[in-house]
Amino acid sequence: MKLKEIERTAVQVWSPASNHPIYLATGTSAQQLDASFSTNATLEIFEIDFRDPSLDMKCRGILPASNRFHKLIWGSFGNGPSDSSGVIAGGGDNGVLTLFSATQVLTSGTEPVIGRREMHTGPVRALDFNSFQCNLLASGANSSEIYIWDLNNFSVPMTPGAKSQPQEDISAVSWNRQVQHILSSAHPSGKAIVWDLRKNEPIIKISDHSNRMHCSGMAWHPEVATQLVLSSEDDRMPVIQIWDLRFATSPLSQLEGHTRGVLSISWCQADPELLLSSAKDNRILCWNPCIGEVIYELPTQSQWCFDVQWCPRNPSVFSAASFDGWINVYSVMGGSLAAQQKTQADKISSSFNNLDPFGMGQTLPPLQVPEQVAQTTLVPPLKKPPKWLRRPVGVSFAFGGKLITFGLTKAPAQQMQQIPLRQVFISQVVTETEFLARSRELQTALQSGNLLDYCQSKIQAAQLQFEENLWNFLKVNMESESRTKLLKLLGYSKEELQKKITSCLGNGIPEKQHFPEADGLARAAQPAQGSKCSVTEVGTASSSSGFFDSLVSQDMSTLEILVTTDTDGLISQALLVGNFAGAVELCMRADRFADAIILAIAGGETLLRETQMQYFAKRKTKISQLLSSIVQQNWRDVICTCDLQSWKEALAILLTYSRQEEYAQLCDMLGARLESEGEGVLSSEACLCYISSGNVERLAKCWVKNHETSSPLALQDLVEKVMVLSRSIEMLRGSTRPTLGPVLTEQVTQYASLLASQGCLAAAMSYLPHSSDELLIQQLRDRVFHAQGESMGNQQPPPFPYARVHVGPVSHPLPAAKSSSAPEASARRQSPRHPAKVSLKA
Amino acid sequence: MVSVINTVDTSHEDMIHDAQMDYYGTRLATCSSDRSVKIFDVRNGGQILIADLRGHEGPVWQVAWAHPMYGNILASCSYDRKIIVWKEENGTWEKTYEYTGHDSSVNSVCWAPHDYGLILACGSSDGAISLLSYTGDGQWEIKKISNAHTIGCNAVSWAPAVVPGSLIDQPSGQKPNYIKRFASGGCDNLIKIWKEEDGQWKEEQKLEAHSDWVRDVAWAPSIGLPTSTIASCSQDGRVFIWTCDDASGNSWSPKLLHKFNDVVWHVSWSITANILAVSGGDNKVTLWKESVDGLWVCISDVNKGQGAVSAITEGQQNEQ
Repeated sequence: MKLKEIERTAVQVWSPASNHPIYLATGTSAQQLDASFSTNATLEIFEIDFRDPSLDMKCRGILPASNRFHKLIWGSFGNGPSDSSGVIAGGGDNGVLTLFSATQVLTSGTEPVIGRREMHTGPVRALDFNSFQCNLLASGANSSEIYIWDLNNFSVPMTPGAKSQPQEDISAVSWNRQVQHILSSAHPSGKAIVWDLRKNEPIIKISDHSNRMHCSGMAWHPEVATQLVLSSEDDRMPVIQIWDLRFATSPLSQLEGHTRGVLSISWCQADPELLLSSAKDNRILCWNPCIGEVIYELPTQSQWCFDVQWCPRNPSVFSAASFDGWINVYSVMGGSLAAQQKTQADKISSSFNNLDPFGMGQTLPPLQVPEQVAQTTLVPPLKKPPKWLRRPVGVSFAFGGKLITFGLTKAPAQQMQQIPLRQVFISQVVTETEFLARSRELQTALQSGNLLDYCQSKIQAAQLQFEENLWNFLKVNMESESRTKLLKLLGYSKEELQKKITSCLGNGIPEKQHFPEADGLARAAQPAQGSKCSVTEVGTASSSSGFFDSLVSQDMSTLEILVTTDTDGLISQALLVGNFAGAVELCMRADRFADAIILAIAGGETLLRETQMQYFAKRKTKISQLLSSIVQQNWRDVICTCDLQSWKEALAILLTYSRQEEYAQLCDMLGARLESEGEGVLSSEACLCYISSGNVERLAKCWVKNHETSSPLALQDLVEKVMVLSRSIEMLRGSTRPTLGPVLTEQVTQYASLLASQGCLAAAMSYLPHSSDELLIQQLRDRVFHAQGESMGNQQPPPFPYARVHVGPVSHPLPAAKSSSAPEASARRQSPRHPAKVSLKA
Repeated sequence: MVSVINTVDTSHEDMIHDAQMDYYGTRLATCSSDRSVKIFDVRNGGQILIADLRGHEGPVWQVAWAHPMYGNILASCSYDRKIIVWKEENGTWEKTYEYTGHDSSVNSVCWAPHDYGLILACGSSDGAISLLSYTGDGQWEIKKISNAHTIGCNAVSWAPAVVPGSLIDQPSGQKPNYIKRFASGGCDNLIKIWKEEDGQWKEEQKLEAHSDWVRDVAWAPSIGLPTSTIASCSQDGRVFIWTCDDASGNSWSPKLLHKFNDVVWHVSWSITANILAVSGGDNKVTLWKESVDGLWVCISDVNKGQGAVSAITEGQQNEQ
């Protein structure tokens, strides 16, 4: 298909392969005149921008030139990055050879012409840059003149040897593509001469002696050093000859397809099996020179195309300059020509309509306007797939951390002939070795059930205090007398505390004599003695009353009843009439709390409770709140109101007093407060509360909130804890594994998919709960199960977690389940993510 | 570590152009210049040829497995301008659909996320991208983007299925309102992102950084983050990682992963999207990973399926 076009009567050249963007330089052709008969010469550089779908080329540089051109070439010679666009060499009439700096032309610089010599005789039609040393330029003109120019010293050229006799024109020069000191020249007589610049002489002359060859073009094989092609311009012999210098007596083969003389050829550097030719039969053909077959033909042009050139950088693109004054850029990959052709036709017509070069009021007859093609012209692409489309290597990832690779082997001796490998490698990629090692440890511990040792090793390995605490909590949670041990972990050992209290009170003082005001924690710790978990009895009113009873009986000696009008008197009187409530009220008002309490005990349960409440309302000491809560067994208050800095103490209270059935809930409440109100460290301490309560989901949630879990090891950190906790609960309570909450589900799914990505499919499977409503888990289970192949034995496959869709015509009435050899499942669960998807089965 | 666990001798008579595992990683499909597509059962290190599919008349460039909810379905594309959808029925593989609507070589095929239905995107050297959607009862609907890439499209890759907002917010019983996107790379050196709007495919973004043909594009699988990531590789030897953080999908920024000395043919993300495999013309396969400080580091050189894996150390440059 046609990609770009420009109306120019010009010779053309592409920018070198290394240049980006791609440019096409045009220079006014010396061989033609257009209808304006202008002899002005211009060098223009167009950017060929394939991002732009339009046919326009954008002019990026324009330079008036002193001569028109027979030939343009573009080399990558340049001095430094400021000159990166290379050098354009132009061959003109009268032996003129001009060098242009492409960069200068593109930037409208002040010195676009970097050299100009008039050494040759006649028009300079043959030019070529050496592809190994980009400073070497070969040129050829009339009288068998060939010069080799060094761009670093562009004054005096050298010659490749003595002039060939008889003297004749040089139609083409070309450097060998493999051996840098080999140059060839071609002559209209049909002869080609190969020169060796080291010997400075011609080393071989080739000619088929038919005398009908009339060389218009010549090109070396891009890869085989000894082969070259010659094209013949002679209508009697419109052929392309392929020569091999090893058998230089006659051509290796001859490409015959053009019906009139061949004007130009171009050998694709990216694929030696592609050779372009244009001829006077108006056709542009692409050959596979190896088998002599035409593999592409551009639909017949309206005019001769005198120059075709592959684009060095974009291998599927070539340009064609034709005598109708257009330069077109085409792709050999096929496609439609219709739209573009029409635009060109329109442009041509309109350009002619405006043209009245002879000033006779007459427009030129539309001589060369191509037919208006209304229907689409489909140009088939190259019959032979070009080399550049043949992907030689590849890699792809597959489920389970598998890597699929294939490609060529490089035989070091003959790099050119790469042998395609028939093998495809399936490899296992393991990147997270430390993660896997730790995962295996965890797996072993979970399977053996020996979690205590596992925790112990974790405690020893812990680097952070918090980490150590966590593992301690996890471990203790599984042990007997876990609450006492947890208290110890919080820093409250009963034994040590007893010692402290004893020393504080002095020796010999009986335990029961110390006051409620004594260290609140002593109070907290003491009653727990003897009853590990069930501490409900200790703090109740009845036992307190016993305590005060004994105090009273010791201190009172004689009974005296006052009936005075002061408080004492009033109280006495109230008591006399059994008005306990009044008496207590009076005592309270007089701040005689002990009296009030004692009386209240006598006054009954209700009064005692009210009095306690009043007491706590009135007395505000540092520990009164604690006392209040303990006496009233209001653990909830403790949890809800305690200063978060003393969360450990609050947890200790729960450990000591709270009933088993509310213990977990209270721990969770404390944890929740730490999370929501606490800052920094405190918020992560909530984890300890959740371990105490055995709330795996909350533990996970809190952990995720405070720790990054995106890296494998961080995820491992989390999973170790939640799995140990979850397993320990399972073992202790004998219950089945608790169902996973959303956070845990997400983390465990991630963990399992990470394991799967490292190829640990069995381990991944073990973490995924069998019965989960979570679609993600079901999907992962399905995938991991089947990925394990036959190692799953005759285990029942998990249900297929997708709604099956039958593909194919209805005439196949077989249900998909039978036809599929894929790991099959009986259950067909309608997945919530595809609610609208309807099975298309018949 | 990269260690070979299975070496499959495909017996292809010419160059292999693609090899892809199915969803479960138990079957391998290969295609070659010998015009055939082969399917092997590779479970447990074995290799049993299940099918040798003939139908293409040119080199077969790529194969793609559909999601198993549609059965066992494989698509292949070829220089012969055809796309063939193969299906296993009662243990035999047969052609279930053939599309011949392209004017030139079809270079790439990629199935859309299964949530969208059975949709195949195909990129061709005629510059067009076609979208083949299965509409039921053996019927396929074709949508075509002409002139997607001048001179040709070399690669297509779908964005993972992401619903704007949370899945939970979706009214039950209704099909979630997916935003469908895919990326393509072509001979115009561009990567383009296409988005479906009201049933029409529109060019949403043009990503420019390569100076030569884009050989492959790979949209990274979703790992639940709002960032979208695309890897691209080119004839110019460069591999770029493109990321886009905003949900509207408008601001993509490239990061050069590496400049190789030769053409880079393939890029492929691991399922968990954290490793990128790159295969180049120098017949080298390398694995790359992003370090914590955002640098892409080569962690492995894979030769004949084997290689060591190095850990990312701090401050390591992406030298290679």
